[in-house]
Amino acid sequence: MDSFSSPSIGSGSSNMSTSDLMDQLKTQLAQAYAQEFLETVRGKCFDKCITKPSSSLSGSESSCISRCVDRYIEATGIVSRALFNAPH
Amino acid sequence: MDPSALNSAEMQRLLNQEKEKAMVNEMLAKLTSECWDKCISSAPGSKFSSSESACLSNCAQRYMDMSLIIMKRFQSMH
Repeated sequence: MDSFSSPSIGSGSSNMSTSDLMDQLKTQLAQAYAQEFLETVRGKCFDKCITKPSSSLSGSESSCISRCVDRYIEATGIVSRALFNAPH
Repeated sequence: MDPSALNSAEMQRLLNQEKEKAMVNEMLAKLTSECWDKCISSAPGSKFSSSESACLSNCAQRYMDMSLIIMKRFQSMH
């Protein structure tokens, strides 16, 4: 599944300005990042919260998943600040 | 067809900017993933413990330290 493919880039480029092309690129990049992020979160939270899959999702599994999503977003923020604020 | 918008120097500059942003984004995603695996051993709670958040922060910084060592070592082999 290619998040970058779009029929509109190329076929309409004769009438698109630089900023239109860049807007389209940035939108598609943002969508691709979001997809990748979701995929990662799915993997991590499945590992941590669904240790023994049963015939349905329990209440504790569901709340674990919610917390997991929040924590992973928080972890991204912590790592981001450590990378970009650290005085080296 | 007029491809001048795609070929312009301006476009190249903007594309290079986006390339750099994409690389930074990828580094952040990869590092978060690795540090999560190293630092979050139990099921996630409603907040991080102070040791968990310290671990995440340390993890990122030690990774960058390591990166520097690797580069220097690699360069010294020429």
